[in-house]
Amino acid sequence: MVLTLFLIITFTFFLVQAQPGDYASFYVLNPDLPPEVKDEIRAAFGLDKPAWQQYVIHLKNTFTGNLGVSFGNFPRPVLDVLAERVPRTLVLFLTATAVSFYIGFFLGKAIAWRRGGLFEYAATISGAMLFTAFTPAFALMMIWVFAFRLGWFPVGKFLDPLVWRGADVSANYVFGNMLLSAAAFITFALLVMLCLKRFGRRVPSVAAVPIVLGGALVIMAAWALSGIGGLALDIVKHMVLPVATLTLISFAGTMLLTRNSMLETIREDYVMAARAKGLPDKQVRDRHAARNAMLPIVTSLVYSLIFAIDGSVIIESVFSWPGTGLTLLQAVRSEDLPLVMGAMLFIGMLSLLAHVIVDVLYVYLDPRIRYQ
Amino acid sequence: MTDRRDPLLTVDGLSLSYQTRQGEVQAIRDVSFELARGSALGLVGESGCGKTSVANCLMRLLPDNARLSAGRVLLDGQDVLLLTEEEMRLRRWRRISMVFQAAMNVLDPVYRVGQQIIEAIETHGVESTDSAARERVARLFRMVGLDPQLMERYPHEFSGGMRQRAVIAMALSCDPDLMIADEPTTALDVIVQDRILRELKAIQQQLAMSIIYISHDIAVVAEVTDVVGVMYAGRLVEMGDTSDVFRAPAHPYTAALMSSFPSVSGERRSLTSLPGEPPNLSDPPQGCPFHPRCAYATDVCRTEYPPQARSGSHWAACWHPLDATLVPQS
Ligand SMILES: Nc1ncnc2c1ncn2[C@@H]1O[C@H](COP(=O)(O)OP(=O)(O)OP(=O)(O)O)[C@@H](O)[C@H]1O
Ligand code: SF4
Ligand SMILES: [Mg+2]
Repeated sequence: MVLTLFLIITFTFFLVQAQPGDYASFYVLNPDLPPEVKDEIRAAFGLDKPAWQQYVIHLKNTFTGNLGVSFGNFPRPVLDVLAERVPRTLVLFLTATAVSFYIGFFLGKAIAWRRGGLFEYAATISGAMLFTAFTPAFALMMIWVFAFRLGWFPVGKFLDPLVWRGADVSANYVFGNMLLSAAAFITFALLVMLCLKRFGRRVPSVAAVPIVLGGALVIMAAWALSGIGGLALDIVKHMVLPVATLTLISFAGTMLLTRNSMLETIREDYVMAARAKGLPDKQVRDRHAARNAMLPIVTSLVYSLIFAIDGSVIIESVFSWPGTGLTLLQAVRSEDLPLVMGAMLFIGMLSLLAHVIVDVLYVYLDPRIRYQ
Repeated sequence: MTDRRDPLLTVDGLSLSYQTRQGEVQAIRDVSFELARGSALGLVGESGCGKTSVANCLMRLLPDNARLSAGRVLLDGQDVLLLTEEEMRLRRWRRISMVFQAAMNVLDPVYRVGQQIIEAIETHGVESTDSAARERVARLFRMVGLDPQLMERYPHEFSGGMRQRAVIAMALSCDPDLMIADEPTTALDVIVQDRILRELKAIQQQLAMSIIYISHDIAVVAEVTDVVGVMYAGRLVEMGDTSDVFRAPAHPYTAALMSSFPSVSGERRSLTSLPGEPPNLSDPPQGCPFHPRCAYATDVCRTEYPPQARSGSHWAACWHPLDATLVPQS
């Protein structure tokens, strides 16, 4: 873990070093400045030291949480900028990944179970089309249809200035509270399900639905009464289209994978045995065939998460969503090198985190791994 | 209700084929037999003769490419082939259960072994509470010679023999009237195989359950069954009380099978006394399917399927039965 992190830092540092020019060349190239001032600036940035010394300093700073100051957002520290941008990206991609995984898995297992129908045909073909679609083109198409033609959702950006005129709270404050609500809701839903599983195997899992829905209603009511509900709704509206685009692109992959994986597990002896035991069809499908088919898909989840984080540059720039990807792109354009390095470090850390989460999930799902 | 003397199971003129790219494989042709309550029936024959297919018909667990072309399967006088899927589902495991041939992978790797048995018990409402179901599993585990604590373990923690015992415990879990054991011990070494067989026999008698024993090993079947049926190329070619068939086999194929397994506990010889291969089931030979390999074959064997030659309950489908007491029925 720490080693991987170290490698990421090292790699980004030398990648940036390898570019022509340095941090100070922006000022240094200014012909109006006298040479002494130039040297002073270089010394102030530590650029008069040899590369390896700069590297050691950089390493020390990074591990103590000092990512420097962003040139483009002067004088905000890089960490501060990222703290604002990273959650926006995370929300976008976690939502899209969760939704697409759920839908993809659900459809995949259904089409594998009733093989050979017209439905399977249609789903497989449209899935393959979505899977191979060119992301920017597809995103533009979505904008054209849903924002431009139908006008259901805004074209892009994070919020609508007209709605926010005169608001006495900042967007980050509203968004932060939205994140807290979402986290609270997810924790609540998980707890309800855990309790049901613990205390009554004979209670049908449908019983959880009204309780969880009730929790959702309470949270929504709280927002409506808080007076900033309209502002939150505006952010949600801006989220819909990018999330939908990402979901459509990545659910197809999960669906096709689930289908293939299911077609394998359906042939397994334990599925035949489950049917022989007289279990209802749905139980055979969900508890045995699909449960085992999930294992290879969880492994693929890590790749799709990493892919999603990398793809954030594309999606965020098409939708002008001010997240990590767009920030990285702008930082590169304006030679805001500390911010570039900071953003890359965060993207690397997120992929690393995705790996760890999937590993943990896998151990939870497959008892054969647990005992090794 | 049903008379105790009525047969539990009657299979009547069953025929099954599989559609394949190479054509239609006639896996079962006109198979008929009866099984009395509490008795043990053996089905023997070389690999590919259709034993598993018969078992799957009884459970009505057939692959998509299978087609039942004729026949009835009466369980307590009711044709299971005519039941709806839901009616059949409620009878599976409760009335007929099965120990599968490939028992190594019959347990789902992601659940605890005990839980997989409880799942069947709950589905059929055999026990009304969780703790009663667990108690039942513990009892079954003891019965098949497993430590009840093992029910909390996962399948990959079991050895081959333990898995086989667990699968047998699972098959017994809903007190079925009939248990089909498809090659229940072939994957195990001879010593374990022998012990499990004897235990299974004891359990069957103790529970007064009927059992169908499927094996290619005629010695195994001789040991544990009351009645034996010999299959060849999808057909039942000889049937009778196990003692009669072994004392005086009437069909040349049965005799060849027996000579390849000289005695019940003796060493095995390969099938040297039986040259050639079983016929291709998508294009079976005319007449008696055994004629290309039979030392006694005559012209009539090559053109016409033989009638049953019978003596009491012992019969063989052969023009020239080896046991002269069997009389051809016309
Ligand atoms: N799903 C299937 N599709 C096509 N052919 C099949 C299928 N299942 C079985 N067969 C064929 O049907 C015939 C009978 O198979 P079956 O499995 O019933 O034999 P078996 O006596 O149980 O053999 P073994 O001792 O090897 O288990 C074989 O020729 C086999 O190739
Ligand atoms: S009918 Fe003829 S070929 Fe068939 S087993 Fe009897 S003797 Fe052999
Ligand atoms: Mg078989």
